[in-house]
Amino acid sequence: MTNIVILVIGALMSLTIFYLVRKDKMHGPFATWWLLVALATILLSAFPQWVDSIAIQLGIVYPPTLILVLAVGLILIKMLTMDMALTRKERKIRRLTQRMAILENKLDEFINRK
Amino acid sequence: MKTLIVIPAFNEAENLKQLLPELKQKANEILIVNDFSSDDTAQIAHSMGVSCLTLPDQLGAWGATQTGIRYALSRGYDQVITMDADGQHLPEELITLYNHKTQDSHVIIGTFPQRLSYLKKMAWRFFKILTQIKIQDLTSGFRLYDKQAMTILAGKEASLLDYQDVGVLLLLLRSGLTIEEVPVKMEHRNDGKSRVFSSWLVVMKYMIQTTTLCLANFGVKKST
Repeated sequence: MTNIVILVIGALMSLTIFYLVRKDKMHGPFATWWLLVALATILLSAFPQWVDSIAIQLGIVYPPTLILVLAVGLILIKMLTMDMALTRKERKIRRLTQRMAILENKLDEFINRK
Repeated sequence: MKTLIVIPAFNEAENLKQLLPELKQKANEILIVNDFSSDDTAQIAHSMGVSCLTLPDQLGAWGATQTGIRYALSRGYDQVITMDADGQHLPEELITLYNHKTQDSHVIIGTFPQRLSYLKKMAWRFFKILTQIKIQDLTSGFRLYDKQAMTILAGKEASLLDYQDVGVLLLLLRSGLTIEEVPVKMEHRNDGKSRVFSSWLVVMKYMIQTTTLCLANFGVKKST
């Protein structure tokens, strides 16, 4: 039963991503990341025994912790890269704002000269 | 030597009315960078025949100053002097900055250590220990930048700084430029407000952000 629930979650996730890309609300690299997450979810529902065998090899006593640790780790990485992307955007916006003010001034001068 | 006076201004219409007539006697080329003011800062500048750039969004004091530096570079100026609009920096002290400029120095900071309050002195001492910068007045906005300094400060690296203080100084020192200080007279602020030291929350934010910046730049070349 749990497997089916996870499968449904994975399937809904993939559909949502495809829908968002189709509606032009998500682009390139972001779509790839989220589709990979959906794919991992589907694989997990199909082969739940993988988690157990990997956990045992790593010496983890309670296998579900492996999933939780991996999930939290990936979320942290994702958030860190998001803040890095925001920083890049902030820099771009600031520089464009400055550029715009300089160009506007040039334009005014040009118009006044005519 | 073509010099541009750059004045970042956020809602400084009243102060500019007092400052500009005086300043125009001491300097030929002045640029006001209007940081998205809601008053008539831009109109005052225009009515007094001073060039004015109007930012389409608020960038803060340093963002506005950097706009002026980028403008100066694109227009072929050799040096830039930045000053505050609130009347704290005196037009007659411009000459002190000019005269102190030599071939070997890239940045001249006009300092007035007496203006510092006890709290500020503590903060500066803390940042000086942290960064090993040997400059008395870390936040003075009364500065002369030469072409080399302008080129560095106009770059992308300087765009994410939020204040014209430690971050700017560290960037300049890291690039191997020489910073010198010269004592100048300063007026007390007309309206008594400081951008940085205005409320406890702002001070906290400033202290934490600047400390992070200092720690991240640990080991940067020291000033002479």
